Amino acid sequence: MSLFFAGVRFDKTNNSLRKLKVNLLNSPRMEVDFTEDSVKFPEQKFEYLDHTADVQLHAWGSTLKEAFEQCGMAMFGYMTSLEYVQIKYCYQIEATGDDLESLLFHFLDELLFLFSCEPFLICSSLDITKFDLENFKIECKCYGEPFEIGKHPQGTEVKAITYSAMQIVQKPEGNKCEVFVIIDI
Amino acid sequence: MVVRPYDQELKYIEKINSHSYRIKVGFQPNMKVEGIFYVNNHLEKLMFDELRNACRPGQMGGFLPGVKQIANVAALPGIVGRSVGLPDIHSGYGFAIGNMAAFDINDPTSIVSPGGVGFDINCGVRLLRTNLFEKDVQPVKEQIAQSLFDHIPVGVGSKGIIPMNAKDLEEALEMGMDWSLREGYVWAEDKEHCEEYGRMLNADPSKVSMRAKKRGLPQLGTLGAGNHYAEIQVVDEIYDKFAASKMGIEETGQVCVMIHSGSRGFGHQVATDALVQMEKAMKRDKIETNDRQLACARINSTEGQDYLKAMAAAANFAWVNRSSMTFLSRQAFAKQFKTTPDDLDMHVIYDVSHNVAKVEEHMVNGKQKTLLVHRKGATRAFPPHHPLIPVDYQLTGQPVLVGGTMGTCSYVLTGTEQGMNETFGSTCHGAGRALSRAKSRRNLDYLDVLERMKTLGIAIRVASPKLVMEEAPESYKNVTDVVDTCHAAGISKKCMKLRPIAVIKG
Repeated sequence: MSLFFAGVRFDKTNNSLRKLKVNLLNSPRMEVDFTEDSVKFPEQKFEYLDHTADVQLHAWGSTLKEAFEQCGMAMFGYMTSLEYVQIKYCYQIEATGDDLESLLFHFLDELLFLFSCEPFLICSSLDITKFDLENFKIECKCYGEPFEIGKHPQGTEVKAITYSAMQIVQKPEGNKCEVFVIIDI
Repeated sequence: MVVRPYDQELKYIEKINSHSYRIKVGFQPNMKVEGIFYVNNHLEKLMFDELRNACRPGQMGGFLPGVKQIANVAALPGIVGRSVGLPDIHSGYGFAIGNMAAFDINDPTSIVSPGGVGFDINCGVRLLRTNLFEKDVQPVKEQIAQSLFDHIPVGVGSKGIIPMNAKDLEEALEMGMDWSLREGYVWAEDKEHCEEYGRMLNADPSKVSMRAKKRGLPQLGTLGAGNHYAEIQVVDEIYDKFAASKMGIEETGQVCVMIHSGSRGFGHQVATDALVQMEKAMKRDKIETNDRQLACARINSTEGQDYLKAMAAAANFAWVNRSSMTFLSRQAFAKQFKTTPDDLDMHVIYDVSHNVAKVEEHMVNGKQKTLLVHRKGATRAFPPHHPLIPVDYQLTGQPVLVGGTMGTCSYVLTGTEQGMNETFGSTCHGAGRALSRAKSRRNLDYLDVLERMKTLGIAIRVASPKLVMEEAPESYKNVTDVVDTCHAAGISKKCMKLRPIAVIKG
């Protein structure tokens, strides 16, 4: 399946919008239009926990959606220092799963894929626009720019997302949701 | 997982001799064979501490302790002999890292498990020799370290500089080092000194997802990050003069280059894809395991065969990757010393794989059997006269390259007959982690670590200096303990010790 979408790039320097064509090969993602106002920078709600060979991401939020977004940021934060990332592009990704755990797994896997090859996007803001827990489907807007050595400090490479000791905790009364994911590095 | 108080757990673990312990059947449910692990006095403390911690009530961890993981592997269908833990073992995804297990191919219930190979398929170590001596390199150490760092793309987000398109990648996946040879990146003799001659023949790129290929293409010829490195090393001690001379090492002080890398994002994605497929196959074939992370499929099922073909393609990717960096290292040295790699005698001593599953012939209870041998964080160590090792090493046994940690020494061992009998020709692969990354980051300061490298006279170039403490020697087991245990247990034999003078890391 090969699709062509008319994507729009936001150019910070002269505030003009340039039309770009994006080729989507078998990948449920596309470059999308955005304005600076639409980008959110919520406070950091994640940390890195102890693990012998790997790293455990612990993220939380008042909703599950927020905890998922924070978990994605935690992963990007391990690859570079997020304060060096400028927002120049916005890509929309889709992830689906069979249950909550696999939805989180595939969401993170899509983000890792977005970074690992064209467009090599490192994100400093994520916005889940569709969070469907009946069909286990996520649509997310990912804001950032292509990773560039020299501009972005090199952190550690993430090899893979794992299901090992994955925990998704929802406490509706306390208004707090938490996720724990071990990433293989 | 069976949780018993620590003292009751210990009843299942019996000391065989000064450097090995037996894990008895019953330690975990459904164990088909016993487990064994090799440790010395220093290393056994780490093993038992890990188990004791896991026995504390309310303990919620990501991974099971190594001993439990060895026992869970011993419960997999089709396993023969013993589930073996090498001295550098530490807990990992499904299988512990430093665990080997063999499965009878002719048993229809036997399985293949991506967790028994690891995410970084065919991660391995390659050692190049030179005819230079320490006195030639010391004065230009900083320059040559910088030159290597400039030549080899390292760290997260780096891209390969070997020109590649999608068609080249398909060919490389199928041909392995034959591709590198055809394109002129390696020498014909390099292939001789690689396991499988640098090419797994059953590789089938059509069994690999587009996603894996897309992740792999930009990363071919890159070192990676984490524990991967390129080092300039000096021969520090020779224990076996004959074996060393067969490797082209005549005396101490001779300079070598060690490259530790794997199949990059390509292999990681192949493993991820296979784990998803195998969850389905397990439900269908009703394969029961003690741990969900031990996802596996019958060797003869479609999923099992597809994984083996894709894994072989990833193995080929890793050899092409290490070969590309061999080329770049040779160029860096040639430029620095204004001569050719040929005149510097920069031959490959050997190239070992320490994350792979292979079909091999072994003797089990006096009968020859065809086995699928999983080695995860374990190195093949075939004895002298084995038909699968190159002519040059027929009398010495296969060279085994054991990479140390940043700033510590590395070792070259050789395979032994006893190793062939006890561990299906397998031995340790490195130091093995002792501290978690987060703990290393909290307890150590990267400036101290860098300063210490300087005091030790080691030139260092790192892509992410702030993460060097994760790879500092304190975070790992002592590689000398690991190697000495293998030597004392007789599963491999010490040949020489190498000490780093320059380190290039991601």
